Amino acid sequence: MSGMGQFTGRFLGTGNGQSLQPGALANILSRIGSTSTMAGVSDVLAELDIEVAGNDIKPAVHLGRGILLAMLGRQAEAIDTLEAVTILTQDAVLPLRWFAGILSRTSRVAQTEEVLRRVGTLDLENMQIRNDHAVALMRLHRHSEAQSILHTVLSHNGPDISILCNLANTLVCLGDQDGALATAREALGRSPLALLSRRALCNVLPYHQDVTGQAQLRAMRECADALTRVPPRTLANDRDINRPLVIGLLSGTLRSHPVGWMTVAAFEALDPNLFDLVCLTQNSSLDDPITRRYRFASKKWIEIAHISDTQLVELVQEHSIDILIDLGGYGDAGRMAACANRLAPVQVKWVGMQSHSSGLPEMDWLLTDRWETPDGFEDLYSEKLLRMPDGYVCYSPPPYAPDVVSLPAIKNGFVTFGCFNNLAKITPVVLETWAEILRDVPTARLILKTHQLSDSATAERLYRSLASLGIPRSRVELRGSSGHRALMDSYRDIDVLLDPFPYSGGLTTCEALWMGVPVVTLAGEIFASRHSTSHLCNIGLADWVCDSVSEYIATALAKSSDIDDLAAMRSALRERMQRSPLCDAPRFGKAFSAALRRAWQAWCLGGQ
Amino acid sequence: MDDIPISATLDTIRDRIAELINEGRGDAALPLLAAARVLGMRPSEIRFLRGRLHIQAGRLREATTDIDAAMSSAPLDTALLKCRSALRRRTGDREGAVKDAAEAVIADPRDPEAKLFLGQALVEFGRGAEGLSCLANALQIAPKDSRYWEALAAALDTEGDPDAALSVLEDGIRIFPGHLSVRNRAVLLCIQRGNFAAAAQIAEQARAAGIVDASTLGMAGHVLVSLGEFERAAASFREALKLCPEDRNLSRLVATTENRTDTSNTPAIFLRAIFDGYAEQFEVHVLSLRYSVPVSIRKLLLAHPKIAAAESIGPALDLGCGTGLIALAVEDLGIGPFTGIDLAPKMLAQAKAKGLYTELIENDIISELSVSTRRWPLILAADVICYFGALDEILSQTLRSLADGGWFVFSAERPAFDLRVEGVEDRAWVRIRHGRYAHTEHYIFESLSAAGFQILHMEQLPIRQEAGINVPGLLFAAQRVDRDVRPRVQ
Repeated sequence: MSGMGQFTGRFLGTGNGQSLQPGALANILSRIGSTSTMAGVSDVLAELDIEVAGNDIKPAVHLGRGILLAMLGRQAEAIDTLEAVTILTQDAVLPLRWFAGILSRTSRVAQTEEVLRRVGTLDLENMQIRNDHAVALMRLHRHSEAQSILHTVLSHNGPDISILCNLANTLVCLGDQDGALATAREALGRSPLALLSRRALCNVLPYHQDVTGQAQLRAMRECADALTRVPPRTLANDRDINRPLVIGLLSGTLRSHPVGWMTVAAFEALDPNLFDLVCLTQNSSLDDPITRRYRFASKKWIEIAHISDTQLVELVQEHSIDILIDLGGYGDAGRMAACANRLAPVQVKWVGMQSHSSGLPEMDWLLTDRWETPDGFEDLYSEKLLRMPDGYVCYSPPPYAPDVVSLPAIKNGFVTFGCFNNLAKITPVVLETWAEILRDVPTARLILKTHQLSDSATAERLYRSLASLGIPRSRVELRGSSGHRALMDSYRDIDVLLDPFPYSGGLTTCEALWMGVPVVTLAGEIFASRHSTSHLCNIGLADWVCDSVSEYIATALAKSSDIDDLAAMRSALRERMQRSPLCDAPRFGKAFSAALRRAWQAWCLGGQ
Repeated sequence: MDDIPISATLDTIRDRIAELINEGRGDAALPLLAAARVLGMRPSEIRFLRGRLHIQAGRLREATTDIDAAMSSAPLDTALLKCRSALRRRTGDREGAVKDAAEAVIADPRDPEAKLFLGQALVEFGRGAEGLSCLANALQIAPKDSRYWEALAAALDTEGDPDAALSVLEDGIRIFPGHLSVRNRAVLLCIQRGNFAAAAQIAEQARAAGIVDASTLGMAGHVLVSLGEFERAAASFREALKLCPEDRNLSRLVATTENRTDTSNTPAIFLRAIFDGYAEQFEVHVLSLRYSVPVSIRKLLLAHPKIAAAESIGPALDLGCGTGLIALAVEDLGIGPFTGIDLAPKMLAQAKAKGLYTELIENDIISELSVSTRRWPLILAADVICYFGALDEILSQTLRSLADGGWFVFSAERPAFDLRVEGVEDRAWVRIRHGRYAHTEHYIFESLSAAGFQILHMEQLPIRQEAGINVPGLLFAAQRVDRDVRPRVQ
């Protein structure tokens, strides 16, 4: 189990603020570092448990226990133990770093940031800590602060691939797609073979206005090529076409998250006599209602946050998974490296960091639909296209969504356009397009709402961008983050949603529609540029889908000019959506079941 | 020598221990407590904190030892007095709870929590008027803490003034619009009063306010069934099921309400909401209602051949054990060890505190019995059957769980003669108030026979009092017997 060394090495070998001295701590960390099996980890833990039971209180022993508990996947106990150590030892860097490291693999992002900020003040010269802090800030959508830290580190320490890649991701989130692409390319130029820099390019490219399907596929393929492969193992799955199948779900987001809301109903709708679900998951919380639904629908629930990709490949063998569905892609908790080593004879990519094709030769299929990937799009994907008869997702609206209210234009006397997508999707061309619409409807307003706009400097920059396009501040309202219900309630102020492009809204579009707000979209070439197209077509609103910027502008103008029609549509939209295939879980479940069976049959018949 | 010394001060550690205990993270506090001892924290303080950790973990006996020891060196410490008062309430020492809380109030008359504790203890001790006055006074001092509103409402309800209780809760909802438990209490109170329309309205207001909770939705579904609004009830149950997907009763309710039939039993989350909300006061409440079932079951069990022969009988399974009243009533008859099943963790905590159960299982009865392979010589069910409508499943599962010759002793509620429910005479069972069901004697008799039981004993009896009026009930003993063995009819 080589992963053990990797797991601890980063902490054992670094730490500018604290070198290890001979003694209890060095001894304990050395024992941990030389442990190569889970049984060995348990043995060391048992030894430390005995030491803890003594009357003396030794923070080093508790630190060791915390590390070992984390290695065993006992995350809650690890956090409790490490937090206690940090309280006792106050400003000691090593416990704080371990604590932050474990926390960063949970959803306790604010606490992670707080701890990393504290470590940063204690170990000013440590670039890795600054980088980790920036990542935590990014997870909190505080991209301006992250950008500032990363720029500072670069100016002090010179170019570093990890820092450049994070900077690229931060810049794109701030809506600077050009800067992000340039930074990702700089990282790639400095380290062309590194997975990190190739992944950064894959992450930022789909947001750029010049992206094409082939360019994105090429970037994804290059990223997939950089993944480490081990010699392939023999897959002994029984090639019986009709037998019950074991479906593996690989994801760090089986919870209240876009992936959860878009997929949970589908898995619930699968016939348990025909499909056993095995969830390979990370960062789950039993308090989360979507997680609970997944857990109830699944036969096995396996936490994999603490194990390496290599260990994951070994682990999965025990469960004889027939079809592996990846819902993580190249995201934070993504396990594409494990997929590259085949976790199952049939591997399917579905939602979750799915801007386009995975580019991974070992990913056999991509679950899609005829609107996402119409006939003729096959060459833009490395996978075979597993097309669903309706849409490619099944939306579960949140039960706390507010009721739909009447069209605000009736009360206001003017039309309000809106967009609640994140700034990464709002390119200069998108802003120019919206400005043209607003210039053509002089009374209209625009409301944008997203996390990044909580930052006043970011909001100010956007106000100025729009002003330079002839849209004064008085006609624009920029809103920052809020709770999810409050976000959905904000649609009460919107008459028509303007979808961004080339990266369209996914969950955001579903939420707008659920709140009675129709969406004008521009269909593009990559997968991410056609989410809204799929959702709108799936509920019978294909006339809101456009093929060019000029058509997008004309449609927005035409649709927003008919207030009566908008009002009627708004009042009926939720019910229409509820009755459409987009929210029809049983219908989706049948189609999903058939699609999975089709993929399985193809493998059984040796057609892959 | 350790590489990383302890650099935190005792004050810092003390504060963090308290914070961690308040957050319910006792495991994180333990190493700190050990460190505090090394750093010289006073033994009484350590015992106080350790006592709190024991309370949190449900180890009430150990908690009592520690808190008593801590108090021996600081008898007038308000925090200790409050802590012990709460502990004593949990262990059933009501007089002691009143005494400690009263001393806490004397020590710090402006401490609203001391008055809260005193008020609650007084109500439970039977001095309702004083308790209410105390709780009202506490609320005046701390109107921005929802606990005080809930406590006053609960006390008013206990003292027989549900109108005033509801009024307090309605004020509480206005002041704490996002507070779930205040709304749930209000819904529950309306259900208990049989005012389903008001309950539905409060539940709907909660939904519109964005409050999404399985208990609220489950109660709403139940209420809507009562109002005959099956489609809305099904929708409500479906949403509850999304939040509580493992609840089998709920999934059955979704199916039954979708088919527009009557419901067959009460959803587990509904019971959990009722009993968890009541756990601390439940025992007092049922005793104050002259709850006679435990005593009646005891009398009936005296006729058991083994007990009559002074032999021990067991193990015994207590279905819906609640706070453990049955075990308390019969354990000296040589019955045991006891295993209890209940849905409500707070009730189970009280049962555990009685020290009479070797095993307590948090689950719904059907779910537990359907997967268990154990066979019991004695199964008891006091005030449990009334949470099931149709009895086929509970009886067949119970029969399956009985050893050959095993006894099933249970109480049931009969429809009151003046119950104005349409068609009640023609029905085997009827839904009444508080999410309960009343069953006809004939129906239970037939159901037991159909399930394969031999009926040993049946009697009519008042099972408790409500508003001073006897609630009619039934007591049964039934036996699982081999076909070729004649039952011992009493």
